[in-house]
Amino acid sequence: MLSQQLINGLMLGSTYALVAIGYSLIFGVLRLLHFAHGEVFMVGAFVGVELVLWMHVGPFIALIGGLVGAAALGMLLELVAFRPIRKRRGSFLAPIVSSIGAGLVLQELMTKLFGAEQIGFPAQFAATAYHFGIVTVSGAQIFIMSIAFVTMAALHLFITYTRYGMAMRATSESLEVASILGIDVDKVILLTFGIASALAGIAGVLVGINFNAISPFMGIDMTTKGLAVMLIGGLGSIYGAMAGGLLLGLAEVLSVAYLASSYRDAFAFGLMILILLWRPRGLFSAGVAFES
Amino acid sequence: MAQGSSQSSRRLHTARGALRIVFFIGVVALGSIGWARADVPLGVLIPSSGKGAAYGQQQQAAIDMFMEKYADLGKAGKLKLVIYDTRGENTDAINLTRKLIGSDQVVAIVGPEFSGEAEVSFPLAARGDTMMVTPMAAKPGIAAANRPWAFRFALTSENDYGPLIDAWVKHQSKPIKKVVILMDAKDGVSSADGKSVFPAVLKKHGIQVLDTISFETGDIDYSAQVTRAKSLAPDGIVVSALYNEAGHVTAEIRKQGMTQPIVAGIGVNDPRFIAIAGSAAEGVMAASDFFAKNPAPNVAAWSADFEKRNGKSPSNAAALMYDTLYLMRGCIMETGVDGKKLQSDRVKLRDCWTNMKNKDAPLTGKTSINKDGDAERTPVVLVVKGGGFVPLQ
Repeated sequence: MLSQQLINGLMLGSTYALVAIGYSLIFGVLRLLHFAHGEVFMVGAFVGVELVLWMHVGPFIALIGGLVGAAALGMLLELVAFRPIRKRRGSFLAPIVSSIGAGLVLQELMTKLFGAEQIGFPAQFAATAYHFGIVTVSGAQIFIMSIAFVTMAALHLFITYTRYGMAMRATSESLEVASILGIDVDKVILLTFGIASALAGIAGVLVGINFNAISPFMGIDMTTKGLAVMLIGGLGSIYGAMAGGLLLGLAEVLSVAYLASSYRDAFAFGLMILILLWRPRGLFSAGVAFES
Repeated sequence: MAQGSSQSSRRLHTARGALRIVFFIGVVALGSIGWARADVPLGVLIPSSGKGAAYGQQQQAAIDMFMEKYADLGKAGKLKLVIYDTRGENTDAINLTRKLIGSDQVVAIVGPEFSGEAEVSFPLAARGDTMMVTPMAAKPGIAAANRPWAFRFALTSENDYGPLIDAWVKHQSKPIKKVVILMDAKDGVSSADGKSVFPAVLKKHGIQVLDTISFETGDIDYSAQVTRAKSLAPDGIVVSALYNEAGHVTAEIRKQGMTQPIVAGIGVNDPRFIAIAGSAAEGVMAASDFFAKNPAPNVAAWSADFEKRNGKSPSNAAALMYDTLYLMRGCIMETGVDGKKLQSDRVKLRDCWTNMKNKDAPLTGKTSINKDGDAERTPVVLVVKGGGFVPLQ
């Protein structure tokens, strides 16, 4: 059972990691806790499933649709909910509250449009199961884990070796200095939101394909868990977010497997508290403290 | 002299003004009595949105069909339904029950749907001296705790599962000696069934429960729970959850390669269960008060009519709502309730339900209410075959 549970945990963990990376990117550049990120994830899932239900496309197109839809939404949120507040130099809490409001509005909007019940991808997406000894993995799970790891690798390459990636890293170190050095900070922030939201959109479609339970409220859980992962991994560190996501997924699944399954969330968050008590800046802190 | 006459003329003005006010009040009062004579208000609580919205939508469809045929009450006037959406939330159920009893002044309330909602709103019925009958809540003991004003039209789960487990065990090629229960710990009836009702029934059949593994309403990932169940190698699996969670966990069970037979609680009695679980639902057994493919003429006609109007086959929720309304209407007409004397109307309906014996309901057959306020009838054991629920042969 352990090997199967490890696979389950890595599965769950890779989706947490994709969402948490988005949080870390935005926090790293803007020092902003983006509480509507879970809803961006949810909208990505809806875009993917609606494309499949209406236009009968395959999983790759659904993925791209979710990616594009979520990225567009993320950039829209930045332009409408965050930039105006930033320009007016409000309190550091104002953008956070604005993101909470944006999240609620998105939930209600999606409930009005699609109803509150869970919907899913059509039955043929349910993949064939592959048996490797005692471990069973579905085709969908293999697809998900490979996309998740490819995405994380691509992000690493982008951040490290491209000009835009360097601009993002410079902006995350200091907005003012980057601006003085000639970087178009507004564009970089918009790009950050776009990438972070695209990752969330991919995660949304992958979760939709694997668990087939897409509802306007699926983002709430992701918001809290994504934040927890970001804290565990280290604020602003995308590698920490990757590791933290996998760790949380494994912790949750193993707690169900070996402890009482009703304490799943309690155990996962308890673990987060313990890690923070041991290392308050998270496991892989990028040296970024929570500044106002 | 001038002062005296102005005083008396002022008094005359005041008297005339007072008379006008009294007259006006009188007209309004008579008018409202006249209006009340035309309608008997009956409260209805359903979950049209939120958790279990599919149940609520089925019930709304059944209500529409009922009102088309039976809204007229003869000399008592017309039946007026005051329908509210509880969204599956306990707080909404409480507030809306208060509203129905206090400001809408209904003669009785049909609903709410969920056992959790019923548990919190039944005490209000007792305090408000208004009877409430829930068409579907099936957790044992809810009505008994709130006598004499609380009633249940659905078979309680403990009466459902005896015949169900009997049939399940007899129907297998291999004997079932040990099972795993997978239950929704957050839903009232599913957790009561998973923790006490199913274990008691299984014990009577000499079946050991290896483990009770829980998940929560709204969960999306069941892989860990199912892997744990798989590692215990049971002979059979019991799923106690509502149609959404039961559908997902059943799909996961088959996805992970478990082939053991599955028996499920009453929450799966909705076509959405089969839609969500897909081919994994084949062979799942459940017990129900009603099933759409019943060949009995009035049931078959009603089911066909329902399907034509709504594009989907009726579920347990729809049939139970329809029959509850039918019997309530029967009580209203028999006891001469006309909405004029609220308190005595409410008592009359309560007594009618308390003494209900072998009353014929069009879709679920003969129903009696026992001393606990719970319905008694024989459930039918169903199995999923070819994408639909059919009776077990």
